[in-house]
Parts: sequence; structure tokens; C-alpha cells
Amino acid sequence: MSVEAEAAAVGRTAGHARTQEVVWHHRHLLDVDVVTWPEIELIMRTTDEMKGVLARPIRKVPALNGRRVTTLFYEASTRTRVSFETAARNLSADVVSVSTATSSVTKGESLVDTIRTLEALGAEILVMRHSVSGAPHLAAEIFGGHVLNGGDGWHAHPTQALLDLYTMRQHLPDGDLRGRKVAIVGDILHSRVARSNIWSLTAAGADLWLCGPATLLRGMDRWATAWDGGAIPGHGRFHVTSDVDAAVRDADVVMALRIQRERMQGGLLPSLREYAARFGLNAERVSLAKPEAIVMHPGPMNEGVEIAPDVAISGRAVITEQVANGVAVRMALLYLLAGAHEAAVGHEAAR
Amino acid sequence: MSPRSKTAGSATALGPGIGEVVERFELEKAWLVDPVSGREGPGEIVITGGVLESVVWLEGEEAKGVSDRGVIVAPGFLDLHAHFREPGFEDAETVATGTAAAAHGGYTTVALMPNTSPALDEPGVLERIRSAARASGSPVEVLAYGAVSADRAGEQLSAMGELADAGVVGYSDDGAPVRTPTLLRSALLYAGMLGLPVVDHAEDLELTAGAEANEGYVASIMGLAGWPAAAEVNAVSRDLAVLADALIDEPRVRLHLTHLSTAASLDLVRRAKDAGLPVTCDVTPHHLALADEWIAGARRWSWEALGPDGSSRDPWADGALTAPPYNTSLRVNPPLRTPVDAAACLAALLDGTASAVVTDHAPHTVVDKEVEFGRASSGISGIETALGVLLALVDAKRMPLARAVAALTTGPAATLAGWPAPAATPAARKRGLVEGAPADLVVFDRADRWTVTEDSLRSKGKNSPLIGRELSGRVLLTIAGGRLAYEDPGAGDE
Repeated sequence: MSVEAEAAAVGRTAGHARTQEVVWHHRHLLDVDVVTWPEIELIMRTTDEMKGVLARPIRKVPALNGRRVTTLFYEASTRTRVSFETAARNLSADVVSVSTATSSVTKGESLVDTIRTLEALGAEILVMRHSVSGAPHLAAEIFGGHVLNGGDGWHAHPTQALLDLYTMRQHLPDGDLRGRKVAIVGDILHSRVARSNIWSLTAAGADLWLCGPATLLRGMDRWATAWDGGAIPGHGRFHVTSDVDAAVRDADVVMALRIQRERMQGGLLPSLREYAARFGLNAERVSLAKPEAIVMHPGPMNEGVEIAPDVAISGRAVITEQVANGVAVRMALLYLLAGAHEAAVGHEAAR
Repeated sequence: MSPRSKTAGSATALGPGIGEVVERFELEKAWLVDPVSGREGPGEIVITGGVLESVVWLEGEEAKGVSDRGVIVAPGFLDLHAHFREPGFEDAETVATGTAAAAHGGYTTVALMPNTSPALDEPGVLERIRSAARASGSPVEVLAYGAVSADRAGEQLSAMGELADAGVVGYSDDGAPVRTPTLLRSALLYAGMLGLPVVDHAEDLELTAGAEANEGYVASIMGLAGWPAAAEVNAVSRDLAVLADALIDEPRVRLHLTHLSTAASLDLVRRAKDAGLPVTCDVTPHHLALADEWIAGARRWSWEALGPDGSSRDPWADGALTAPPYNTSLRVNPPLRTPVDAAACLAALLDGTASAVVTDHAPHTVVDKEVEFGRASSGISGIETALGVLLALVDAKRMPLARAVAALTTGPAATLAGWPAPAATPAARKRGLVEGAPADLVVFDRADRWTVTEDSLRSKGKNSPLIGRELSGRVLLTIAGGRLAYEDPGAGDE
């Protein structure tokens, strides 16, 4: 069976609408909230193809030959930046890497001016990481090319959510998340990973549980309540709890999120030790999940805080798979964006 | 039936440029709204030598064809809260552009906040502002508040007595709250002794550190740091407690709370007024008509975002998100709240808890607004759209026309008049259509819709979330103190 046929078969058994006719029309990818389920399946199928490329002895195809990808990172990042740049090079794109620490940003240049400059220098696809929520939306309004959000503030990290989804599908029968219990444990309040995962996993039909101390769940219960009645077309409900055992029990997927030290200075946590004791994913806690459950982490990890070292290297952990899948997902998105039909640009510029 | 044909000959009769006396102006068959007498209906006005010579109410056959949906005459509007940025931030606004914008909005009197640079904390700065107002040639009357604290630093009192002698209408550290309860107590007592109010911007800064948008459903989804309602409620509680204490020592203390935005804080003021505390408050057009969902891309009025049970609707569920999210012209302090809070602002206005609508006109440059949402300066350029926003409430039958006019005229005038000292100033005069007094009025056409664009705004501040939107009630003419303040450019064509 070809990769495409296989993916289509997965789509059918999953009971979702047939998706083969779906054409990518988004000019930018700022979050997964505006991406429909058939479009997500298109991304998954395209990722399958990119995985095929990565399995070859020479991991390089000419798909984006001569296209110019610029990464603009306003926040420190190792894996996301390297992942995007590797993905772009695998597609034969020319990659320009801008780090704000060594750019005119340190001289007070505004985001708008920086982006206009990069566009004048030939940037076509802008991969951006920024500490302020909504910054890539501003970029999308002024940039003539494509913006790919590499994470903004607490708001969104769409490529992470998509690589998480891809990884989960690899480990679940038929790649079907419907009814599968996914527990995300950690600092939900400040997490762009959690927010993007809420959109994608509720679209996938997962039984999503968000868990953390009450101080790091602020506002989430209200959100969950609003969605409880199936208010948002195409998205299911999710649960919010501070009871970590209830969240993890019988889960198919358990994901830990990074806990930052600043949360203690902000008075949100008594200590990392207390967090580890009450919410950390240790072997005992993970044993509450299904025997075949996988353990995930978007990285970078604080081993011994949100995840115990033995859990992180256990056979259940798929953390390095997430990293590897991240390259394939980002190749898929760069490929789809670069080929996005320019006619669709007007409306999509808004979102 | 164009409004200009009704004012046939008026353009030539007006003749004068901005700031010149309106020697002769007649308006036949318009809808007059006089909030002082409480009367509204068909009528005619004649201005001679800048004086409102006659106000004739029409009846029977003569009144035929005149409705409250056409050309309307109302007293000139009074804004108790505006920022004209001069001195110090003239790239954002000047007294000249600010008064031009005010007149375009139908305002004939404005009270400016003292967060200039240098701050208006001594009479010299007030003199600079007055000098700029004179130089502008605009007849719009410019009043000003003095700062509560020197340099608005929240440490020592400003030159309050000298400022009173120079004619400030009150004291405020607006942009920030009066920093400490101790300083507020002193300010209330000293200002009360001088017969002037303290106008507080009620915000608990500790609760709003790093805050970006009203804490709630919208901010949660958008990953914006929450700006809790508790920050305003806590500050209002503090202010009311200190006011009650100060009242024991000085019966003339007055507290005015500006731009209140939450149901809970308005309820505190309602109860305090019931208990007899000398407190007044106001609300803004944007907190009445807009809501936090606009940041996500919704563009419906706040009352359209209420469910049948009075709760806020979900813009994601409704498919109501039509504009790009994170528009920085929606970043304002206090933040846009929920549709339920907006409804509470309207209820407070209608039941008298809030005595005025103020614009909090806060122009900013592109440099300060074309940035990441959380880094944008707070404020909306709103003095030219206040009338249109209130007319949207009237069009939606949320508020009678006469109440909307009162909120812009007698409401703020009575608030000023309730402050013992400035009762003698012209601004505090009752804003009615009074024969024999200098003409101070606005003529607008409710049926004439106009589109808010950067070009249509006279203000330097183009930071309006209503850019691109159509509003009803194009202002045709504004006359301040008998002199021409604004005339619609189309008026002279005929």
C-alpha cells in the first residue's frame, strides 16, 4: 500500500470524512485553531511522506530548492530552531537564521521593522518564535510571504501540537485518538503547548485531561466548562483537574510539561520539591496509566521535577521520537505553506 | 431632503472660519434635544452674533416630516476625561489637533488629564496648555486637571493650592491610581478644602503587573496574561474606604472614579452613593459598546454578544471572529471586559450610578501601537467616535436618544457642578438650549452614516478599533461659545 493510500485508509477507519480532495490553502500557520480536521489529516499524510524521505540514505529532496526560509527567534530555543532549520535544509531551501541576541533587535529595532528588513532581504517563509502572545499575527499582517509560528508567548505552538498528534497516532491502533485518554500534566496556565494541544486533541476526539496545581490552571476550568456542551463545531469537551491520579488513571498518553523556576518566585508554587512529590510523573504514578501507555514531553525536561529520570528513559517514553517526528512535521508544513495557493491569501492573512 | 438643504443658505451665512463668531445661522425643521428642560421635538433655532437668539418648538402642521432620526440639535458635549498629550508627546496629539478632533466629535468643552511631560503639577504647565489652546484658534473650551502628586510620582502632593488658584477643575494621577491610601487621604482632604475633587483611576497595580487582557475566557484561549476585575474592585474599595474616613474631617471632600469597567466595581459605587458618600463615576463608550472578544476578532457590539439569559456568548461557537486577532488599538486601560460588564456599565448609566460618559481619548503614535499586543501603549483615540457609539446604543433601543445626549452634556455638567469650586466656571453651566446665551451646540444627522477612517479622524491618534466601521450621526456643525468650532466639509458645497 502506498503511503497515501495507507493514510487514506487510516482516515476512513477513523471515521472522519474522506480527506483526499483536501487542498492546503492557508498562507500562514499561526495556530491549529483555524485548521480543519481534514487539513490536519493532510498534514499527517504529508508527514508520512516526509518520514519516507528521512528514511532514505540521503535525506534531501529538492522540493523547496531556491526557496528562502528565515528563522527569527526572539526566545532561546535549541530543538525547535534546529528542527525547523534541519527540516528546511532537507527540502533544499536556503536557510537564514536570525538570532535576536546578535541582531539589530538589541539596538531597539521594532518587530515590524525587523520583518520588513528580512522581507527586503528576500525572506519568503518566516519561522518565528516570540515571547509575546500574538506576535506572529502582527508579523503575518505585514509580511508578504508565509509566517510559520514557532511558538508565541503562552498562546500557541502549532508545530509542537502537530508533532505530538503525529506521535500519538503512531502508537495508537489505527492512529485513532477518538475516546483515547490523553493527560497533560504541568504548568497549563503558561503553556502554549497545552493551548495548541487543546485545539488539536479536541478535534481528534481524544478524552483530554489537563492537570496541574490550581495556581497553574487559572482560567482553564471556565474554558472547559464553556466547551462542555460541544459549543465549538468540530471540537469536543475536555477536563481540568488538580487530581493527578485521576488524570493519569487508565490514560493512553501521559504528557508532562516543563515547570519553570520563575513560578516559585511568582508565588505560584511552594517549591520544585513539592511539585515533584505531588505532580511529578514518577514510575508509581505512570503505572496508573494503561500498560501500553506512552509518556511524552515537549522538552526541555527538568528531570526530577515534572518527570522522574527513570520514567524519561523508560520504554514508555517516546520523547526522542517526538523530536524526530518534529523534523518530519516541519518539513510537511514548510512544503504545504510554500505551495499554498496564492489566491487564498487575502482572507487567510487575517487569521 | 439632505440636511444641507434644510440649512439652505447656512453655509454662506456661516461664512466665518474656525474660531470666528457665527454672525448669523438659521436652522429650520430639525429635532431639538434640550436635556435641561427635558424637552425634545421638532424646532428651529436662530443664532445672531454668536448668541442663540431664538429656539422655537414647532407643533402641528409645521412639525410634519421632522423626526428624531434626521438632523438633530443638541447642546455642545462636555468630555470630563481626555488626553491631548501636550506638552511632551506632541507627536501623538497637540492641543490644536485635540480640540479639532473634539469639535469633530461634537464636543465644545474638554477636561484634560495631567499626565503630560512635564506633568501638570504646577500652574506653569497649565499656562502652556492654555496658551496652546489660544494659539490653536479653536473655540473649544479647554479645562484641565492638576496632578495629585508632584511629577505624578505618588510621593508628595502637587502644588494643589496654586493649581486651584490657576483654575484646574480637579486632581488626578490618571494613567495610574493615586499610589497609596495615605496619599489619597491627604489629597482628598486638601482638595476638599479647596472645593475640588480627586479623580482616581482605580487599579490595583500589584494585581495588574504584566496583565494584557481582561482575565477570563477570551484571555485564557488567547494566551494573554489576565487583567482581573478584582484589580478594579479592590482599588474602588480602597478609595471608598478612604473617602468615608476623610469625610469625617472635611465635608467638602469629593471623589470621582473614572472609566469604571466592571459590574462589581459599579455595584460598589451604587451602594456607596446609596449610603450617602460624596462619590461620582463615569464610563467610556468603549466599555459600553466593545468587549474583550474584539481582541479575538469579534466585531459585534457588546449587546449583540449577550445570550438570552444575559450571559456572554461565545464568539468561537458563534463563528463571530471576523477580524484579525490581537489588534493593538484594543489595548486599553482598564481593559475591554466581558459583554456582561458592558451591560453593567449601561445599567449604571441608566440608573444614575454613573453620571457621565467620558471618552478617555488617548491618542498614540503608530510607533507605540504597531508592536506586539502586550507591548503596545494603552488607549483608544475616541473623542470623534463617542457620539456614533452612543447612537448605536440608541439605534439598538438600548437607550433613549435624550439619555444619550444627557450622558454627553448635562450628566458631566452636573458632575462638575457637584464639585463645589468650579461651579462658577462656564463649563459647569447647565448645558441646555438657552435663548440669549452664547450658542454652544452641535448639529448632527442621525441618518447620515459615515465611515471611520484614518483620514476622517482629525486626531493625530489613529488608534481606533472602529477604523473601517460605519457609524450613524455625522456631525455637521459644532459651535462653541458662539464661535465656529467645526463645520462638515461638505456643508459649503451647496
